Amino acid sequence: MSDTKVHLAARIATADFRQSLSRSLKATASRLASALLVLLVGSLVVFLTIKAAPGDPALSVLGEQASPEAIAAFHKEHGLDRPLAMQYLSWLGGVLTGDFGASLTVAARQPVSALLFAKLPATLFLGFYALFLAVAISLLLGTLAASQRGKLTDTVCTSISVFGISMPDFWLSYVLIYFFGLGLGWFPTYGYVSPGESLVDALYVGFLPALAIAAPMAAVFSRTLRAVLIETMTRPYVTAARAFGLKSGFIFLHYTFRNALVPYLTVIGLQIRYILGGVVVVERIFGVPGVGSLMVDGSFQRDYPVLLACTIVFLAIVLLVNTVTDSICTLLDPRRSR
Amino acid sequence: MSSPFRQKLRRFFSHRTAAVGLSITLFVIIAVILGPMILPHDPEMVDFMAVLVPPGFAHPLGTDSFGRDVLSRVLAGGRVSFGISFAAITLAAAAGAMMGIAAGYFRGWCENVLMRIADLLFAFPSFILALLLMVLFGFSTVNIIFAIALVYLPIFARISRNATMLIREEPFIQAARLMGRSPGAIMLTDILPNIATPLLVQASAGLAFAIILEAGLSFIGLGVQPPTPSLGGIMADGREYFSRAPWVLTMSGLAISFALLGINLLGDGLRDLTDPRLRERM
Repeated sequence: MSDTKVHLAARIATADFRQSLSRSLKATASRLASALLVLLVGSLVVFLTIKAAPGDPALSVLGEQASPEAIAAFHKEHGLDRPLAMQYLSWLGGVLTGDFGASLTVAARQPVSALLFAKLPATLFLGFYALFLAVAISLLLGTLAASQRGKLTDTVCTSISVFGISMPDFWLSYVLIYFFGLGLGWFPTYGYVSPGESLVDALYVGFLPALAIAAPMAAVFSRTLRAVLIETMTRPYVTAARAFGLKSGFIFLHYTFRNALVPYLTVIGLQIRYILGGVVVVERIFGVPGVGSLMVDGSFQRDYPVLLACTIVFLAIVLLVNTVTDSICTLLDPRRSR
Repeated sequence: MSSPFRQKLRRFFSHRTAAVGLSITLFVIIAVILGPMILPHDPEMVDFMAVLVPPGFAHPLGTDSFGRDVLSRVLAGGRVSFGISFAAITLAAAAGAMMGIAAGYFRGWCENVLMRIADLLFAFPSFILALLLMVLFGFSTVNIIFAIALVYLPIFARISRNATMLIREEPFIQAARLMGRSPGAIMLTDILPNIATPLLVQASAGLAFAIILEAGLSFIGLGVQPPTPSLGGIMADGREYFSRAPWVLTMSGLAISFALLGINLLGDGLRDLTDPRLRERM
């Protein structure tokens, strides 16, 4: 191609990209709005479910033998004697100003927002670390398996994936602790270092818990990637590109992989709801002071404000990640925004 | 004679993944059903003369800190876990299919309401939702079944809605409508059998997830409560004295992985055989 042609192609590509960017920004805004709506309705449903559940928060604080007067006083103090609608609205009003109410039993009378603020960074760090590992492992395994389809490498990669989804995260945690922690002594088996303190130490100490969360997800991701890549490789445009004599690496990157990326990202978005479950259990095992541990503590001690806040935070994370993956998908494939 | 059913059966058994998966799954099901009846040790029987005995002839998988036979406990716990998961997925599939078929068949506001409910449920992290429901409504077996069912219901609802939309304008549905059949009858006898395959495939994958979910809940102590044995509960016990008696955790963990491997292979095989393009999308 001559210089002018290249220049023209680049300009068309840029204009195309700009157009799809603005379109996908619009789509993102509407997605964000609907995510907020889901969050609002979700919070109402969780709030009402907690209220509908048997058991009085007063009893979980004051004990089963509390006198009726003490219970009534407790209800009055926490506003539990007001109508449900009022209780929800005042809770919602508080949340909008960053106030999730006061903890009942986990940390008596402390604001839940302070607990969340202290625990959220660990959960986010561990969650994204796990997500990063899962994506990295699956890119490697999935691409290898698809490109070596039917050969020994494929069988090995596919088998690793099947074994991966057959290992529940808490069971894998102990296998990792036993082999890499206690056996080989490569990694610490308990505790947490904040990435703000030392990023290297945080990545090192967090490696086993992140891997335990990541492995089952990596298995699902790489199976998806392999299946989609194989499907894409048989498309006519890939055959045409090969007939044109384009290099196979170029075809893979620009034709096969790029078109496989949308379904791959979609599955990642869908799997977030399982990743966060893994975070709860694995935080517990490795003693990571995160929202998952907080929620388990809140569960054992029936601390309703803590439970409510943790559930909403997890719901918000899922919605946020889904919005982000959806937006990237729209950017990659503008047809999706119409 | 080669009926379509036989052909399908032959195709199924010549598919290696499906055949291996089915064999393992059947073996596990038979083991958890018959095992507790055949084995000499009661899973609940405490024997302080045989505490933490390593695997050997009398106790193939050793004993735990109460001297209880681990093999008997794993099989009894497996039966509980399998039963809960199976019931939960059946419930989720039935309720989800009803929702999805109604949404796909009636369209309009009905679809909007039902699918928004499914979307809302689907937005919650699965483990968190199940955990919350367990804490709020109590740790009974029935509640675990309902909690897991509620987590998986939206997946079945989505699949059956999409499948229903694909066939709702087919001539045989239109014919049924013109013959004056009631919507309920059409949905149950005309639509359901025709969308059963993707539901079945999803159910086999869902069963593995349900077992993992149940085991995770029981493992952190917020699922099946002792003394009822469950795989997660046995593993949590084994963690307590892992350094002295690693076999309790290891053996119960291997057992759960073995069962999951079978179910996952079966699910893969079914998916391959029914629709290779559907793979791994949900």
